[in-house]
Amino acid sequence: MISLRNVSKVYNGNVKALDRVSLNIDKGEFVFIVGTSGAGKSTLIKMIYREETPSSGQVFVLGKDLSKMRRREVPYLRRRIGVVFQDFKLLEDKNAWENVAFALEVTGTPKREVNRRVTQVLNLVGLLDRRDAFPNELSGGEQQRIAIARALVRNPDILLADEPSGNLDPKTAMEIFNTLERANIYGTTVVVATHAHDIVDSLRKRVVELRGGTLVRDERRGAYNH
Amino acid sequence: MRLVGYMFSQTFRSIWRNKGSSFLSALTTGFALFLLGISFLVSVNLGFMYQMAETQMEIQAYMDKEATWTQLAGAVSQIREIPGVSEVKYVSKEDALEELREMFKDKASVLDSLEEDNPLPPNVRIKTVGAEHIPDVVEALQSLDIVDDVMYQEEVSRRLVQIGKAVQYLSLGGMLVVGLVSVMVIANSIRLAIDARRQEIGIMKLVGATDGFVLMPFLLEGVLLGLLGSVIGTGFAMGGYNWVSVKIAEFIPFMPIVGLDQESIWNMFGIMALTGVMVGLTGSAFSVRRHLRV
Repeated sequence: MISLRNVSKVYNGNVKALDRVSLNIDKGEFVFIVGTSGAGKSTLIKMIYREETPSSGQVFVLGKDLSKMRRREVPYLRRRIGVVFQDFKLLEDKNAWENVAFALEVTGTPKREVNRRVTQVLNLVGLLDRRDAFPNELSGGEQQRIAIARALVRNPDILLADEPSGNLDPKTAMEIFNTLERANIYGTTVVVATHAHDIVDSLRKRVVELRGGTLVRDERRGAYNH
Repeated sequence: MRLVGYMFSQTFRSIWRNKGSSFLSALTTGFALFLLGISFLVSVNLGFMYQMAETQMEIQAYMDKEATWTQLAGAVSQIREIPGVSEVKYVSKEDALEELREMFKDKASVLDSLEEDNPLPPNVRIKTVGAEHIPDVVEALQSLDIVDDVMYQEEVSRRLVQIGKAVQYLSLGGMLVVGLVSVMVIANSIRLAIDARRQEIGIMKLVGATDGFVLMPFLLEGVLLGLLGSVIGTGFAMGGYNWVSVKIAEFIPFMPIVGLDQESIWNMFGIMALTGVMVGLTGSAFSVRRHLRV
């Protein structure tokens, strides 16, 4: 499903964000990417939805070689990948429902289909009753769940999350990870870059650790630290 | 279909959101197009004057006094064949005298003495298709043996050609300058629109909107601003023109001014709208390329 082969990324000629990383992630997996700030977690996530392209090496996602992918094909790749960020990236002038529907509207989904899917996914994240609330009326945890709903509304093959609980208190963070897990149970492959020790330790999923851009650990049912 | 509706609603929302800069760019484009309209109207009027002068402008070829009727008839048909000639009128000695008599109606008696021995040469009056043909026609006439002398308003015809060309160059140059300014103003307005929606654009790309879908509303916005500008420009040009025509009629009553009929208003608006759309499209394309690295 996702395969990185000897991927390196060099910024500005000398800053190595990733250094010969090789990694395979199968369909239906739930993977934590851990490491300190600047270890290359975000860059790795960006490689998968082709926000970044490798300086060397190859990235295969959903059977496509992303380094050979043409720019006009990228939107169609992204329709099969949901992405969630630390800062939620919700539109302030749209309410919860509209924020989620937005992802479908900009790709020309018929109105009826939009209604059906948005209802379904807001139900999944438990926020259907908050559908009319604007982002500034929602708590951080609720905003992130709306963002997850937006990422899932297209029923993607892959869900990527970059520090999804970075701005949230531990209890709310746990809710967020439960939501991600639920998506995983429905068959979506989930890749999460995170600092949240406790959660990684308690969920016991596959853990990939980066240090200075190098992959130093890849462990089934791992913990945040060795 | 749904995508198209969505894009239009986005475009109108964006124009509304940046009312200030949208209005400013439509106004600037309007002003530029107003200048274009003015130069259009000026050239319409000059063209009109040019045409009037042209129709009044004729070449007179004085024929050999001794020429026989047959020779004269042959010459007339020869003159008709000269390229650029539109009208040929033969004036016999008698007709010429009659004309003279008309001109000096009250002193016609002095001409009586001429009746016996008419000294006026028969002449041929020639009109050309356009003023630019005059020198060639004159040359052709001079090469005919039967033609004694050729008279024409050389200076006037040359001036008219010059003025016509100057106005054309001037309006073209003015149009380029003001057009360029409007392109920049529209580009700026679109840049503001892009800046205002940067986050939205980021999310659109993230969730898989195509490049075309992302940039189309901005191109559309540029086109609409250009169109709006052409409406403003046409309004101003018409208002200004009517005001000026009234003033001219007041102070220089003999100057011919072309009245604006429905057709010429539509023609002007058509030219302006087309130019406005092109200006808007160029401006927005410029900004989209520069600030919307899709």
